[in-house]
Parts: sequence; C-alpha cells; structure tokens
Amino acid sequence: MISIFRGLITTLKTTFRRPVTVQYPSTHLPLTPRYMGFPVLTWDFKIQEPYCTGCLVCARVCPTDVITVSMKDNPKAANEESHRRKIVNDFKLDISNCILCGLCVEFCNFDAIIMSDFHEEGSLTRVEQDLPLVTLLDMGKEMQDKGKFTPPPPKKRPPAKAKKDEPATDADPEKQES
Amino acid sequence: MSTLLITITQVSILLAFIMVMVLILTYLERKVLARIQMRMGPMRTGPYGILQSLADMMKLLAKEDIRPHGSDRMLFYLAPLFVFVPSFLIWITIPFTRNIVVENLELGLFYIVAVSTVSIVGMVLAGWASGGKYSILGSARSAAQLISYELPLVFVIAGVGILAQSFNLITIVNQQSSIPAIVYQPLGFTIFFVAGLAEVGRIPFDIPHAESEVVGGPFVEYSGIRWSIFFLAEYANTLAIATLSVLLFLGGWSGPLTEHFEWLQPIWLILKVSAILFLIFWIRATLPRFRIDQLMQFAWKILLPLSFVYIMVNATVPFVETVITSNAASNQLTGIAQIILGACQILILFLVAFAISKRRKKYLTHLHQGVPA
Amino acid sequence: MDNIPSTEPVEFMLNVGPQHPATHGVLRLLIDVDGERISQVETHIGYLHRGTEKLCEGETFSQIISLFDRLDYVANFNMEMSYVMAVEKILGLDVPIRAEYIRVVTCELNRIASHLLFYGTLGLDIGAMTPVMYAFREREALQAYFESVSGARMMHNFFRVGGVKEDLPEGFLESLQSYLPKLKQAVQECDQLLTLNDIFLERTKGVGILEKVDAVDFAVSGPNLRASGVEHDIRRTEPYSIYPNLKFSIPTGTNGDSWDRYWVRMQEIQESIFIIEQCIDQIEPGPISGRTRTVIRPPKGEAYVRTESPRGDFGVYLVTEENKEQPYRIKMRSPSFCSLMALETMLQGEYLADAVTILGTLDFIMGEVDR
Ligand code: SF4
Ligand code: SF4
Repeated sequence: MISIFRGLITTLKTTFRRPVTVQYPSTHLPLTPRYMGFPVLTWDFKIQEPYCTGCLVCARVCPTDVITVSMKDNPKAANEESHRRKIVNDFKLDISNCILCGLCVEFCNFDAIIMSDFHEEGSLTRVEQDLPLVTLLDMGKEMQDKGKFTPPPPKKRPPAKAKKDEPATDADPEKQES
Repeated sequence: MSTLLITITQVSILLAFIMVMVLILTYLERKVLARIQMRMGPMRTGPYGILQSLADMMKLLAKEDIRPHGSDRMLFYLAPLFVFVPSFLIWITIPFTRNIVVENLELGLFYIVAVSTVSIVGMVLAGWASGGKYSILGSARSAAQLISYELPLVFVIAGVGILAQSFNLITIVNQQSSIPAIVYQPLGFTIFFVAGLAEVGRIPFDIPHAESEVVGGPFVEYSGIRWSIFFLAEYANTLAIATLSVLLFLGGWSGPLTEHFEWLQPIWLILKVSAILFLIFWIRATLPRFRIDQLMQFAWKILLPLSFVYIMVNATVPFVETVITSNAASNQLTGIAQIILGACQILILFLVAFAISKRRKKYLTHLHQGVPA
Repeated sequence: MDNIPSTEPVEFMLNVGPQHPATHGVLRLLIDVDGERISQVETHIGYLHRGTEKLCEGETFSQIISLFDRLDYVANFNMEMSYVMAVEKILGLDVPIRAEYIRVVTCELNRIASHLLFYGTLGLDIGAMTPVMYAFREREALQAYFESVSGARMMHNFFRVGGVKEDLPEGFLESLQSYLPKLKQAVQECDQLLTLNDIFLERTKGVGILEKVDAVDFAVSGPNLRASGVEHDIRRTEPYSIYPNLKFSIPTGTNGDSWDRYWVRMQEIQESIFIIEQCIDQIEPGPISGRTRTVIRPPKGEAYVRTESPRGDFGVYLVTEENKEQPYRIKMRSPSFCSLMALETMLQGEYLADAVTILGTLDFIMGEVDR
C-alpha cells in the first residue's frame, strides 16, 4: 500500500517540473560539433573549384553504394591555376540510402567531402533524393561559411614538384584500394 | 405535445453538453498526463492545443468505417449504441445543481445502477460481432470485470440509500449541506471510487482493452465514427462516476457561500468533479494494471466483503442510535453517530490496508537481502 | 445426440505479432489459449532478417562496423566492440589504453541506455504509462552524449580496428561526471515508481520462472541468466579490455522470475554508473588508435570473441582468408536468440497477460535475433 502512495508522490513531484519536450519543427535541439548529417562536398575558394578529384575512393568505401563519381581532366590545371590534374566531373549522392556512417569522409584523401549538419532533407519524390554535384557543393559552401571545415594544410612539397607527383597522388588511393 | 418538445430539447441539450464535456475531458486528460510525464501534451492545434480534441473528432468522423470480413453485420453496427445509450441515459437523472436536472427521479440511484448495467451487453456484443479473437477475449474480460464490480458498486449505493433513507440524488446532496458524507463514510467513498474505476475500465483496471495484451479489447475492429462512439461512452462514464462520487460523498454542489449565491453551486460541483478527475488521471499515470485473476480476487475477496461490512455498519449505527435516543422520526444522523460511523469505517479501512501490507511483507521475505531502499 | 455442443474446454489459437504492441519488434507467437491460460506456444522469428552474416562476407572490414551497429540497435557500441575485438584478435593488435577506456565508457553508457529502454517498455507492457517517459528522458540525455562523441545518436560507427575513430570531445568527461549524479537520481525515481509497487510485485513476482537448470540448458545469458541465480558475466569470467582493472559487482537474482530479471537490470544500471565513475578517475591522455592504415588485410585465421552486451553473452566468430579485404565468414552468437528459445517453456501454463510481462522482461531485440 505504502509503495503505491510513494509512486503517486513521485509522479506528483514530476508534475511540477519543467517539461523536457522540445517543440521540434519550431525549435531544434542544438547539434553537437561532431554531428554527422548528410555528406557534402567542399569548395576550394582559393582556386574556385571543388576539392574533389573524383578519385572514387568514397564510392568504393561506401557500404551502401550510394555515391556515383566520374572524373575528368582539370581545365584549370593546364594553365597552372590549379595543382589538381584531375577534377570531379559528376557526383551523385543518393541520400535516401545514405546511412550516415561517415566512412566516405574518413577515407577521402583530399578532404573533399565532409559530414554536414543537414538532416532534414525529406522530399516528395525519389529523384529529388539524388543530390547532384551542384547541390552538394552549395551545401558544402554553406557548411564552410559556418566554419565547419578547416581547409587541409598546404602540401609540403613545392608546387613544381607537386605537379609532377599529381598523377601519383591520384593513383595512390586506387592502389591502396585494389 | 409541448412536453414532448420540451423533453426533446432537454435531451438534445444534455447530449450536446456531454459531447462538449467529453471533448474537454480528453483534452484535459492529455494535458494532465503530459504534465505528469514532463511533456507538454498537444500544443499544435490552437493556442496550447485546445482544439486538439476537436481535430481528433473531425479525423474520426472523416475516417473510413470498416467492417471486418466475417463479422455479424447487424450486431456490429448495433453494439456501439448498446454501449453509448446507457452511458447517456445515466445523465438524465444526475442533477447539476438543486434545480438543474432533466428528470428528478425518486429512485434515481436505482435507475442509474439499472441502466448502466446494460452497457455490458454492448461490450459483449461488440467483441462477439467483430469476429476477431482479440475482441472476443476482450469482451469476455470486460463482461467478467463489469459484472464483478457491479456488485460492490450496488452495495455501496444501497448503503448510501440506507443512511440517507432516500434514493433521490438531490435529497442525498441536500443532506450533506453541512458536512460532506466522506467524513463519516470514508469506506463507502473508497469502495465506490475503486469499483467505479473498474466499472469504467481505467488504469489500474483497464484489463478489457489492455493495449499491450489484447490490443484494444472489444473495440479492436472498430474504426472511425463507431470507435468514437465507444470512446465517447467511455469518457461519459468516467465523468459520470466522478460526478456521482462527488454527489454521493463530497457534498455535491454544496460548499461555502452557496447558501447566499446560487450561481456558486455549479462552480463548486465543477471544482469537486475536477479534483476527482485529476485523481483518476493521476492514478492512471502512476499505476500498472492488474491481471485478470488478480482483478477478480480483488473484487470478490476484498471489495465485496468490504461492501457487506459497509452496509452492516451503515445499517447498525443509525439503528443503535434510534434505539438509544428512541427518536425514530428523524432520518438524519446526529453528530455523535456520524463520528462513530466515521471512526468505524476508518478502522475497517486501516485493518484492510494492514492486512494487505502484511501479505506484501510475506512477499518481501522471499526476496533476497539486497532489495533497493 | 451428435449436435450437442461439447463441454470440453475450447482452445483457440491466438496470433500474437508480428504487429502486436507487446512483441517489441516483429516477433510472432502462435499461442494456444484455453480461456486466459496459455497451453502451447510456437515462436516464429525471421521477420527482421537482413542477412547480416552473409552481407558481411561481401563488405570490407571497415564497412562491417556499420553493419554491426544495426544488429542490436539499442546497444550499438557493445556490438561494435565485439566485432573490432575479433578483428584485433586475428591481427594480434594491441589497443592503446586510452582507446580501451573510451570504449568501456561508451559501452557502459550504452548498457545504461539499453536497460532504461527495458525499464520503460516493461512499464508499458504492464500498463504503466509514465515509466517509459522517465526512461526516455534519461536515454535522450545519454544519446546526446553519444552524439557529442561519435556524431550519431544511434548508429555510431565509432569504434575502429585498433582503437576508436576520434578522441573524446573536450569537456566530455567533466560534463559526464556532473551528469552521473543526476542519472542516479533519475534511476531512483524510476525505482520508486515501479520496483516495489504492489501491483507491479503482483504482476511480476513468481511469473515466468526460469529455473537455473533450464536457463543453463537453453544457453540463456546475461541478466536473464543472472536473475536465475547463476553468477555469470563475461566481464568477470573472461575479462576483456580493461575490465580486470575495474571493480564492480554482479547482481544476481534468486528465483529467476520476472521481478528478478527486472531487478537485476536495475542494479546493473547502478553498477554501470559505478564503472563509468572509475573510468573517469583512471583515464589518462594518450594515443587513441593503434594503427593508421585504413585498409585492413588480416592474415588467415579465425577468432571467437565474446563480450557482455546488455542482453548477455554476444559472440563473434570470424574466419579470415590470407590477403583478403573481406572476411571469409562471420557468425554471431546472439543472446536474445537464446533467451527466445527459453520462451516456450516459460510461457507454458501462464496467463495471457503474463506472456506480455515475460516477453518484456526477457528484453530481446529482434534485430539481433534475426540478424
Ligand atoms: S574520395 Fe574524396 S576526392 Fe575522391 S571522389 Fe570521393 S570526395 Fe572526391
Ligand atoms: S556517409 Fe556512409 S553511406 Fe553515406 S555516402 Fe558516406 S560512406 Fe556512403
């Protein structure tokens, strides 16, 4: 009998405590700095091109195979504007199947992909869930504006030598993967 | 002709009143439960979500009315009415103040008991007609439960009648104008409240429609408007039990200042009913539910004998009083008799609580030593 | 005379699940009930089968971690732990001590979260509405901690072969230390609401007794086994990670009934809090990962690793081939599965309402049963 009254008192006590509810769509819980939303691509503001070289590492490491990448020759590399010989041609991320594991970010050698804060990317059709390169870059720019991305430290090698090494850097992950 | 018209108007006003009350009640219940659980409850529909129950009602009305294959068509459609009509008919004789009542029946309490029993038929029909296994289980459970708890309820009402020498609700309330009956009938109130909780199937007695066991009891197969009728009946019953316990034991509309200001009467009634309702919600938020056999044991081994004792005490004390004072004319208890009656009942309550705790002690001795404090 | 209805008790078969509120996922039970009594039970599993074991054979070692997250989806860290330990065993890898501490802290936090979920859902099964809210309130707080460590609230993908992905965020341990007393208080609140409540005692005492012998025969493990009175905890019997350095007691029951299973779990929450407190005291700065290479190619070999997940003895049997990125075979030994096997004996002759209690106290997770 007493325990029932003790239970009643416990519930009565919590009645006068502040509710813990967060009114979701209007208020959001603060996201922690490490929060992993959907992966997005970063933008190299110095050279005005994506960091991504289309090296396919992320596509290979992704457990759910949601990334499709293709690579092309970087036109800016020809007139020495950029040190990237190859650059991403097309990038597609099917966020409806992405499991937010963060492996793509971990494996990318160029810091070209980061986990964003975006997590409310629902859409009415399945096609809209396939994010193209432009959208991913835009989202990435937004993340970079928020300061969520520190650009990789400049390469230690001098640019001239780096140019020579470029194909090797590109091929390196491939070698590691195969 | 005109009396018929008046009756029809009265009944429709009552119906509307009950509907509105049920809407308010569901909203309040959700809010109170939410606060107890440190949530906010409905917040989206209107300021503080006050339109939530209205929105729910709209949704239920607009929903498809599904009749499962293999159900008995006629009974399936009739069952909601069998449940709802009795729960509505009860209200005809429940007074809201000294003057506001649809039909002041001389045997009002008797009528209430008689009518409310019919809803058992509705429950069984609903379960049977749905043709589902869960619903049959649920209706068997609810028939067993309602029948068992009907008895203590009737006995308590009989006890009240003995003491008040009347079955008229207005008379009973008027007799409590100075002291509410709970003071000298705590036992009666306890039995009535507990049996009433079981009668309307609230936690801890919500076995007929235990969500996690038989999914929804007799109403599993119902949807849309038919389900909402059951829902309406359930809440109307809850409200009725709360109102009745206020009328029978808490002095109804009588309270300070009601002698001078007539309009205070309904306010006192509402306040008291809200207190009882809060108690019901509070219990709902705190306690787990019984198992069906424990429920039966509780009814037949504790509640029923207790209600016998209650009737005996209620009959004996006034009798002894009349013998001693040889004053047979007055049907009101004197102060001393009230005190004796109250003391007797409190003693009985304590004895029962003691016996139950003792049984629990026996339980705990079987446990190992490391019981948390 | 033929058409006189028989007076024999009529049994009928009740199909409980896979969409029943009390089956905690997609378990399906075929229960023969005689009135309210259960006469026979048949368990059907497989509704959540995702072929994890087979899937693992086609994924690389680093990808598999994310599959293990999804086995026991309320104790993700514990699942990852077993897998990475198996790979480390084959590689013969030593894990830096700080990484071990981080793993243990997160695993024990996850154990608390899992037991809180148990507490809440058991309350719902028995008909009390508030426990689940109290439990989720605390579980939310714990998940916020998980998020600050791993970036995800549930599917963390945080442990790595040879260490962990990242170090603990700054101020994590301090804030955890200040939170633990609050957690203790909340657990006490939960205790007051349910543990000794008369109705709760009525509903759980002596219900669904799992005898010691039966429990051992069915290879039941974890809290369910300990409730039956067997003091068996992998953290103690086959200590792994840093558990030898930590002091903790193993709560055991005596009767093996539902109340004991409940009580053992509530005590384990206290023990886990105690373990975390010790870890916070002992943890020291240092490296968090033993290996830097991202691609793992273990030598040919096999390993069996068992850890104590919140549900019991979780084992991973891993066979690798020489110079392959994918494992040859992974087999998981799931504690929930073994608990479910004992269900048929436990349910015999109980009330239908007790079936729900027993299902609740067994605390199985279908994701782990079906794999
Ligand atoms: S791994 Fe990085 S650089 Fe390579 S394709 Fe993916 S995002 Fe681009
Ligand atoms: S987060 Fe995981 S699932 Fe999503 S794209 Fe990256 S690797 Fe694939």
